[in-house]
Amino acid sequence: MDLERELRALPIEWPATPQFAFVLTRRRRRWPLAAAIALAALAAAFAVPQSRSAILRFFDIGADKIEFVGTLPRAETRPLDAGLGAPVSLAEARGIVPQLLLPRLDPRPTLHQSGGAVSLVFRFRGRPVLLSEIRDGGIFLKKLVGGQTDAVFIRVRGEFSGLWLAGNPHVFFFPREPARLAGNTLVWQGIGTTYRLEGPGLTKQAALDLAASLGDTP
Amino acid sequence: VEGRPRDERELVLRAQHGDSRAYEELVRPHEEIAFRVAYVITRNAADAEDAVQDALVKAWRALGRFRAGEPLRPWLLQIAANEARNRRRSAGRRDRLALAAASLSGEAAPSPEDAALDAAQREQLLAALEELPADARDVLACRYLLDLSEEETAAALDLARGTVKSRTSRALDRLKEAYGSRT
Repeated sequence: MDLERELRALPIEWPATPQFAFVLTRRRRRWPLAAAIALAALAAAFAVPQSRSAILRFFDIGADKIEFVGTLPRAETRPLDAGLGAPVSLAEARGIVPQLLLPRLDPRPTLHQSGGAVSLVFRFRGRPVLLSEIRDGGIFLKKLVGGQTDAVFIRVRGEFSGLWLAGNPHVFFFPREPARLAGNTLVWQGIGTTYRLEGPGLTKQAALDLAASLGDTP
Repeated sequence: VEGRPRDERELVLRAQHGDSRAYEELVRPHEEIAFRVAYVITRNAADAEDAVQDALVKAWRALGRFRAGEPLRPWLLQIAANEARNRRRSAGRRDRLALAAASLSGEAAPSPEDAALDAAQREQLLAALEELPADARDVLACRYLLDLSEEETAAALDLARGTVKSRTSRALDRLKEAYGSRT
């Protein structure tokens, strides 16, 4: 008996191959139990409204959890600098996020810290921008994205590590803060750190230019 | 090994410059085999789906380090299989491989007697395969059920190519013994 030939000829009933997402769009999926449990824990940690619709897909960009949902929960518009935490010195900020990146501005914008995140608000090309930096292994940010928000993977600072969210606002959760609506956002992962740039009217090119211009010294 | 399309290198280069459509075109032909490799490892369709989806995201993000001109499929299968192994460790329902229903009806066989014999033999062979230890079963599934090359099997199972060869040989011996005792 030629066992190899017999094995090759076995007509296996394979499960149907699902359709996979390449650009992040809505896609229905089944929830494995472990993921559902992890998500429930995450939802509790972030006090996500229980009434939100089923989650269609989630991705992690470093410390940023990005979930695609059918219907967004209620959230309000709040200033970019709301709830960023206490001001800290540059040395303290570097203690929290060793790979801290800063805009080349003089004077340097005020640095804030909350949990493991360092945030700063400043103006770029005349518009306010929020930059948050989170060391891996610390806190998690979370976004809920509806079907009217475009989400595409993007190269940031020379690496394929970013996600650009634009179009309709998405819902953003910062730990211990109420959910708020967020505008166009660029999220990317660097070495041991997740970076997030957000601004009303921020264009993709402006976000990429700003990300590229950030350095380890002000 | 499947022949590489002439434009695969060009698609890789375009994808490396951020063209997500080129990336989709590049990996779409491999998603079925990646899903089946993940299924062989996880034995759970939902886990395999998650593994491949995450693998496609990770592969996109790692594409800058991929050398254009190298075969994409083993690289992609390696990432998918690695994601699948991470999920195999978690508890959950695990499927057994099954034969396609059409093959059990024996419709292509010349006579009902032969068909019944063939179907029974196929069932016995698959049952013997399923009862092998996981490392033996996986290498045979990759090599013969999925028809992966030694290189692809090595990438998928995170083994040296020589180990694939020796493990396949030993697994075939064990299967022959187990199958022989059933017939």
